Amino acid sequence: MPPKGTTKKRAVNDGSTTHTPTLAEQLSYLHNPRPFKNPNYIKNANRRTKNLKTVLGQERERERVERERRRQERDSHAMDIYEVKKELVDANEEISTYLSIEAPPSVLPQRHYCDITGLEAPYTDPRTGLRYHDKSVYELIKNLSPSAAKDYLAARGVNPVVR
Amino acid sequence: MDEAETSNIFYVPAPSLPSITPPDSYDPFRSQPVPLIIDNGSSNLRFGFSTSTSPHSSPNVIAKYKERKFNQSLLLFGDAIDAESGAKSQGKTPWEGDVLLNFDAMENALDYAFVRLGIDAEGIEHPVLMTERLCSPLHSRALTSELMFEQYSVPSLTYCVDSVMSFYHNNKPASGSTFGADGLVVSFNTASTSVIPILNGKGVLSHAKRIPWGTQQSTEYLLKLIQLKYSSFPTRVTSAQASWMLHNFCSFATDYPAVLRSLKIPANMRAAERIIQFPFAIPVIEEKTEEELIRIAEKRKEQGKKLQELAAKSRMEKLAKKENDLQYLTNLREGKSENKREWMNTLQVEGFDDDAALDETIKKLEVDVKRARKKDPDGQDDAIEEPSFPLIDVPDADLDEEGIKEKKKQKLMKAGFDARARARREKEKEREEKEAEGRREEEERENNFDDWAARLRREQEAIMSKIKERGRRKAALSDRKSAAAQARMKNIASLAADERVSKKKRKAGAEDMFGADDEDWQIYRKLNAAAVSSDEEEEFNQLRIIESKLLLHDPTFTAQHTHASITSQRSALISAFRPQYEEGDIEGSARIHLNTERWRVCETYFSPGMAGVDSAGLGEVLQGILARFSEAEKARLVKNVFITGGPSQFPGLQERLHGTLRPILPPEMHLGDIVHAADPSLDAWKGMASFANTDEFHQVSVTAEEYQEWGGERIKRWWGGNCNSAV
Repeated sequence: MPPKGTTKKRAVNDGSTTHTPTLAEQLSYLHNPRPFKNPNYIKNANRRTKNLKTVLGQERERERVERERRRQERDSHAMDIYEVKKELVDANEEISTYLSIEAPPSVLPQRHYCDITGLEAPYTDPRTGLRYHDKSVYELIKNLSPSAAKDYLAARGVNPVVR
Repeated sequence: MDEAETSNIFYVPAPSLPSITPPDSYDPFRSQPVPLIIDNGSSNLRFGFSTSTSPHSSPNVIAKYKERKFNQSLLLFGDAIDAESGAKSQGKTPWEGDVLLNFDAMENALDYAFVRLGIDAEGIEHPVLMTERLCSPLHSRALTSELMFEQYSVPSLTYCVDSVMSFYHNNKPASGSTFGADGLVVSFNTASTSVIPILNGKGVLSHAKRIPWGTQQSTEYLLKLIQLKYSSFPTRVTSAQASWMLHNFCSFATDYPAVLRSLKIPANMRAAERIIQFPFAIPVIEEKTEEELIRIAEKRKEQGKKLQELAAKSRMEKLAKKENDLQYLTNLREGKSENKREWMNTLQVEGFDDDAALDETIKKLEVDVKRARKKDPDGQDDAIEEPSFPLIDVPDADLDEEGIKEKKKQKLMKAGFDARARARREKEKEREEKEAEGRREEEERENNFDDWAARLRREQEAIMSKIKERGRRKAALSDRKSAAAQARMKNIASLAADERVSKKKRKAGAEDMFGADDEDWQIYRKLNAAAVSSDEEEEFNQLRIIESKLLLHDPTFTAQHTHASITSQRSALISAFRPQYEEGDIEGSARIHLNTERWRVCETYFSPGMAGVDSAGLGEVLQGILARFSEAEKARLVKNVFITGGPSQFPGLQERLHGTLRPILPPEMHLGDIVHAADPSLDAWKGMASFANTDEFHQVSVTAEEYQEWGGERIKRWWGGNCNSAV
């Protein structure tokens, strides 16, 4: 079993303080020497943690630009059909980015499951929109507060718009 | 559900403190070009040298925390975060789902890895093999490359896809030959699940697909379900506990609808449930000992007695005062002088209007004093004397003005007295009647028990049905479209209509005659839906009386037949789904019952729509991918279906996948057994390690010079890596 845990190097010189280092301090490696790091390296300002949305947006942009470029290349080689075919094949194969391999939305008809119990749900409550399994579950739904009903719907991913 | 558990109760594990282990020794690796393998996972970071048999594995979390007690700054990694309770909230991971975003955390994580390996040279002098996500965004790759090349000065760097490496490890070619296996890799990761077809040892990444549903989302979903089911749970359920529950109790159902149909029956649901007992605290009730109780009772009695004495004293004082007043006034009356005017003055000084008033006051005082005296010894009221009204019978003509006034006063008093006497008599009569009725009922009960019981029961049912009817009417009124609500609106409209009085009559001057008849006001009862509370109370009281009588005398009428228990009865299904514990049962109320959630959470892999994620499920994705290949290639792919990744250890997954794939393939095509990775969590690293020891490794790595020339985004295309922006 690979041993777990971190280094034992203590952070504070014992002579100066009177307390014994806690477990956390012993596990901390803040003050360990790190000779393998390049001291001359200046952190790239670009490295500020970017939002996931911006990163994905960048990807999309890049993909679009690539596609444009390839199309232009193909157009310019329009005379030689064999080359075009090769380009097509290459183009199809190469354009696979983070976003392109995302699974498509489902096309199968959705099965209705009870929001409360998880069993099959042939019925839907018109007032709240919750799906339920049978009349005893309906009794329970009738006594739910509107916020609880909204929570159940949110678990299913249905977010009713409140004007 | 299959094995019989003697006890279904499981206890939430208590978190354990991490241990301290010294770093590895670097000596065997110093100045050797041994490749360094880092499996950069969203949940765990696995690292080590390629010649080791297994990696160091640790959760990929950093916490930079300033401790309050001794004012120390700490940098903790992975398990060590458990050592400090405040550090957990400050934990940051380099990954956000599937995308590497937080590079400060990444740097700290890599620092930890290298410190742990004991590297003390200047810069890392080993070629590095790292994982990245399937078709990872170029931003992540660029920054990681920059980190590795510029900060750590690695000589060369290679990226690979972890699931392909795991596949490689399990389908290793004979030594010397190139990797040429075929198969379909289903990789379960922390924040996504991906399917990659592999032909001729090369991943066909353009046909790969990724579903944004993984362990992280499953844990959140389970937590949400538990919070919805147990909205008033005493303790907070954390994500760590939810993930523990996910790992130990959830499994894939081979046929989900069939499982649901069997769980519909409450007995099956009870059999299939797992009870998780959370830690609870029993409140300490201070039990007073016998002596203390006696002492408290005595103290209370003493206080009562003291109060009584005080009351008696004040009464005595008042009595004395009244007697004094009486004496004074009587003396005054006796000492009445002959001179009328003087007498009048004296009276007015005392505050009396005339003689009669003085006499009255004196009489009242006398009565009071007598009553008080009588009360003291035995405390009984006198019989009320009948005051006399002499003047009533005297005709008006005989009296003077004063006399007439007196007569009127006496008439009023007599009327009041008569009325009071009448009321008293009626009350007595009522009481007698009630007693007679009670006696009659008792006789009936004793003589003819069954009839009496039957009659009472009928009455109870009648009242219960009335209450239900009322409830139904109220519900109907709140629904805008029901017949009751529409009738109500019609009534309102007719009341407010201008044609209540026809035009002709209005011209003739007649007015709306609403209200002249008492019955007209009954319409407000129909209009106002909320004005029925007094009737309700009456009915409830009657019901209670009947029920108490029945409970007392009828042995077959138990507490279950009462109205209260019938209304609060919950169906068997709901009580199996979420058992209700007594009010004071603290242990019971800290329990979570998992029945349908055990399969529901895993089912979301196959239909993420259940949890609100608009994506195709695993089955649909597999179908879509296979459809893009020719028949021959399909046959090669499905002969070797391989599952890897931590979450692939859920029980029931292999049967479920087999059941999903079989129907979508032509019957003559051979579907091989679903192969499970030998060690789902570590196989990727092991595959990488064995690959790094081959020669091919050096051909596909990006050296530092190439990095300088191309930048961080370009990589070399090879069978185990991504192909976006690849040369």
